[in-house]
Amino acid sequence: MPGWHESTLELQKQGKIRMVGIIEEQHPDRARLFMQWKAMDWPILVDSLDLLEVTYVPITVLIDEHGIVRSVVSPRVDPLVALEGFVDRPFDPPEPAAQEAQAPPDPEKLRASMDPGSVADWRELAQALLSWGAPSRLDAAIDAYTRAIDLEPGDGWTRFRAGVAFRARADSERARGDDFSRAIEEWTAALSIDPNNYIWRRRIQQYGPRLDKPYPFYDWVAEARREIEARGDAPVELTVEPRGAELALPAKKFAAGEAAERDLERDDRIHRDPGKFVEVRTVVVPGTKSDGRTARVHVEFEPAQASDAHWNNEVGGLVFWLDPPEGWSVDRRRIELDNPAAFLGAASEEVRRVEFEVLGPSAGATQVVLPAYALYYVCEGVDGACLYRRQDVEIRLAFTRE
Amino acid sequence: MKTMTALIGALVLSTNAGAQLSLPEAIAEGKPFPAVVLPRLADGQPASIADFRGEKVILHLFASW
Repeated sequence: MPGWHESTLELQKQGKIRMVGIIEEQHPDRARLFMQWKAMDWPILVDSLDLLEVTYVPITVLIDEHGIVRSVVSPRVDPLVALEGFVDRPFDPPEPAAQEAQAPPDPEKLRASMDPGSVADWRELAQALLSWGAPSRLDAAIDAYTRAIDLEPGDGWTRFRAGVAFRARADSERARGDDFSRAIEEWTAALSIDPNNYIWRRRIQQYGPRLDKPYPFYDWVAEARREIEARGDAPVELTVEPRGAELALPAKKFAAGEAAERDLERDDRIHRDPGKFVEVRTVVVPGTKSDGRTARVHVEFEPAQASDAHWNNEVGGLVFWLDPPEGWSVDRRRIELDNPAAFLGAASEEVRRVEFEVLGPSAGATQVVLPAYALYYVCEGVDGACLYRRQDVEIRLAFTRE
Repeated sequence: MKTMTALIGALVLSTNAGAQLSLPEAIAEGKPFPAVVLPRLADGQPASIADFRGEKVILHLFASW
């Protein structure tokens, strides 16, 4: 795409062509940063829900002055060759004229006139709420998608879009504990309906294991920021910072983590937290290949509001230990999180996250309960006791072999 | 302790490596590009490819990854 931009700069300046983009990713502002980095000042439309129903990107389409598709161009073709016979040739208007753009649907009007038994009506309402509603309408959009799925669970597009909505809420201030997990479930359901949809596949791979990654998704972000700042500009701010799996490089081989020394007897004697002080959420993101024995596990730790708990940042950070049973491997057995620099010496309640990857055995067991535990300093109440605590976590994995 | 489970087995998926990726029927040579209304990245306002009538458009559908 940057190649197209550079090759056609002169034609753009002459007003002979207009470059336009439609982005097909979950987080539109990342594309905005990318455009800023590459100095591509095009109009961009956002299609996170994939309303155009494309199954892959990139796609380049030449559209004439009447709105008619004249060709779909392979990304491997030289742009100037692809444009021969398109730029200077006037095209005849179609009969009848192509449809004009419609006004976006009004969710309130849709709701007032909808048939509660109609899958199409629930889908349309969900789509309108998600595309044109305020963030506060995410809940209603998810509810509408859920109703559409109840009526027709085999519709892959609805399952995919529900996943988009769940992930959007997971990334928002309205996040609920199982939103990310639900997003993965819905995308997985969609992909099982159509395994040839690479837009759906990429959403899972964005958060999935390295063995399943076609490329690192957002490793370019740091370089983009450096170059934009070096030009004296302020990089576009991202609402959701890419992290973990989104930055991980693809791998061809699974690298099992070495066992690390620890004092098991000491750890066993540490005060347990049964989940009263820190809530633990685990999301398993599977590989999407048929021989998939691998998964990436996302574990979130959040001080429990009910206990008015908070992290004690005056002492050490969080340590997470994994004990894979024989035949199962993890890429790291010990993960340590430092206290965030911004909160050193002060209380904080932010969500803390660790990610690791698992490889199952090539034969034999297809299910496992992966034992793990976390150690952390947590305080109960603003003036309450701050103790070093241990929480045991069971991570359940189930693979199916063909 | 909380535990959540993901059934990886539900997603053993076969990739038909030999299959050709296809475009939706709505995007085809000789047909108007779908007049779907989408939010503009710059300001979230509604926009459509139909807004560019009168200009020759090179449209890229893409993702930044």
